[in-house]
Amino acid sequence: MADLKYAFYTGCSAKGVAPELYESTKLVAEKLGMELIELDAASCCGAGAVQEKDEFLALTINARNLALAEELGLDLLTICNTCTVMLRETKFKLDNDPELKAAVNDVLKEVGLEYKGTSEVTHFLWEIIDGVGLDTLRSMVIRPLREFNIAPFYGCHIIRPPYLIGYEDPDNPKSIEMIIEALGGNPTDHEARLACCGFHSFWSAEEKVTLRLTANDAESAKEAQADFMVTPCPLCHTQLDAMQEEAEERIGTHIGMPILHLPQLIGLALGFKPHELGLQKHVVTPEKVIKAFS
Amino acid sequence: METFKLKVFRYDPTKDSQPYYQTYELPVEKGMTVLAALFKAKEEQDPSISFRYNCRAAICGSCAMRINGHATLACKVQVTHLLEKYNTDTITVDPIGNVKPLKDLIYDMDWLIDKLKKVKPWFIPKEAPPKDGKEYRQSPEDHNKIDFASDCILCASCMSDCNALKVNKDFLGPMVHSKAYRFAADTRDGAKRERLEAVLEDVNLEWCVRCWECTTRCPKEVQPYENIIRLRIMAAEEGYKTPGEIHAEIFEQDILNRGLLNEMLLPMRQEGIFGAIKRAPFGIKMMFKGKVNYADFFGGHKVKRLEEIKVIYEKAQEKKKEIHIKLPQIMGVIYEDKRKTAKRANFAETGGNK
Ligand code: SF4
Ligand code: SF4
Ligand code: FES
Repeated sequence: MADLKYAFYTGCSAKGVAPELYESTKLVAEKLGMELIELDAASCCGAGAVQEKDEFLALTINARNLALAEELGLDLLTICNTCTVMLRETKFKLDNDPELKAAVNDVLKEVGLEYKGTSEVTHFLWEIIDGVGLDTLRSMVIRPLREFNIAPFYGCHIIRPPYLIGYEDPDNPKSIEMIIEALGGNPTDHEARLACCGFHSFWSAEEKVTLRLTANDAESAKEAQADFMVTPCPLCHTQLDAMQEEAEERIGTHIGMPILHLPQLIGLALGFKPHELGLQKHVVTPEKVIKAFS
Repeated sequence: METFKLKVFRYDPTKDSQPYYQTYELPVEKGMTVLAALFKAKEEQDPSISFRYNCRAAICGSCAMRINGHATLACKVQVTHLLEKYNTDTITVDPIGNVKPLKDLIYDMDWLIDKLKKVKPWFIPKEAPPKDGKEYRQSPEDHNKIDFASDCILCASCMSDCNALKVNKDFLGPMVHSKAYRFAADTRDGAKRERLEAVLEDVNLEWCVRCWECTTRCPKEVQPYENIIRLRIMAAEEGYKTPGEIHAEIFEQDILNRGLLNEMLLPMRQEGIFGAIKRAPFGIKMMFKGKVNYADFFGGHKVKRLEEIKVIYEKAQEKKKEIHIKLPQIMGVIYEDKRKTAKRANFAETGGNK
């Protein structure tokens, strides 16, 4: 196995409303031989909000986050789509504009840091494929997910915009399906596979946009007869799971679509118990899964 | 493969009660665009297929349609590339999304034009023309700000796949907001506030969910989403206090004071005490599920080396005055990921995209 050592950037959600993502990532990573060195001095990525108030500040804060990974000489691994795009945007801008990079480094110098551009920004999803490898993953499956129809929900910032992400074709990504298949499950094609959960306009268009998208997405998976959805992003998760009831109220239909984090899905197939992975913490309880694995 | 199937959306409201698909078998020809394929089907098999086109060179914006589910210009994409990319023998063409089909691939444009009119997509001069009889002038730096935004050909590919528009047709949409930016950011334009008022009505500008579909779809590198963000920055600079502006302040404060966002106290700070009361049942639900970090109600967890962030914040305030951040288009939009070429073999073997 290659050297699977990463600077682990948790982001805010895994330390806030999605503790089960943090726990399950740690368990699964260890099992798969990934060593995660947590960046406990890293800050929030700004999530696009700081970027639209003070772009230079946002770039500098994220340059610091990247420099912390560079200090360790490791690639930075995220478990959130929005963290991924924000950090990659920073990297893109600094690596392509020497003047900007110099200005940012002038600021970082004050705290004894320097952004060099030596660490890549990668996501847990990609490292399962490129780092661990699907063959290894397949060989470690103890409990195949045979009986489950699983609806992938990519979330925007793991595929778009291609000029910042570029991991796979944003028109026809396959990474999540490939992982589901490696775990023995059945990936379900559905209309909202590449759609948006609505999270980022929650505070300005909760009724007008956000909850309508959320309802759409959960319904799409239900129509495709999925047992649950799986997402690599905690923001999509919060939106689709915790806000699903609110979304149901708006459309006046019960959906009840459980949403799993990607590491939880992998963890189940690797033999962890649902409660170890925090499945009971979801607002829409994945009853069928919990029953099948207990 | 010598032939492929072109599956075309057909609909004539004067005789069809429902739209349907009709499939044409065509030879695969090197260099053939989807538009050329449509012509071939029309000329040789079925003269009744209707679609819009003009320049056949990705300039006029007439031929936008959804090809295998994603909006693009039919004259810009090649059949062989698509067959390979989707690993299929079928190319499906639909009219662009979020619009009313009129006949086959032709859709009703009035709706888009009405939206555009709201932001007055024409130049409204700030002052009388220069006395020397020459045109209105601006510096190259000022022109750079609107250069790419001016390249929009109104093809509406971005409108087609916009997530916010999908669920709310009152959203002005990326093409329209981006157009508003193009004029509001023009140093020669005199109607900046008027344009900002138009896009901020009912905070329309902030209905955008940051899905980045528009930028991904745009065939001209206009980057409508990025323009929406610039328009939001402009609105904040002009003193408009929007929910997005309040949200940004909360994030900035939390990064400064603890490093991470305090999600527990966010509703209260975003919407005030009434908001907090409105969302209390939700909070209780989260509490029962074990998703609440109680310590966060009292400030909670702080990241290590927090003092560094304070220093950076102070220093960045001075430094940003000296720096002009270039547009991504100028930086060269292709992000070469070294890691990818090194490790990609694994991905290809397992049947993923190249
Ligand atoms: S980023 Fe905003 S404007 Fe662009 S497609 Fe998404 S919701 Fe629409
Ligand atoms: S912004 Fe791009 S996709 Fe949208 S209408 Fe203009 S050219 Fe077409
Ligand atoms: S025909 Fe003009 S853009 Fe395609």
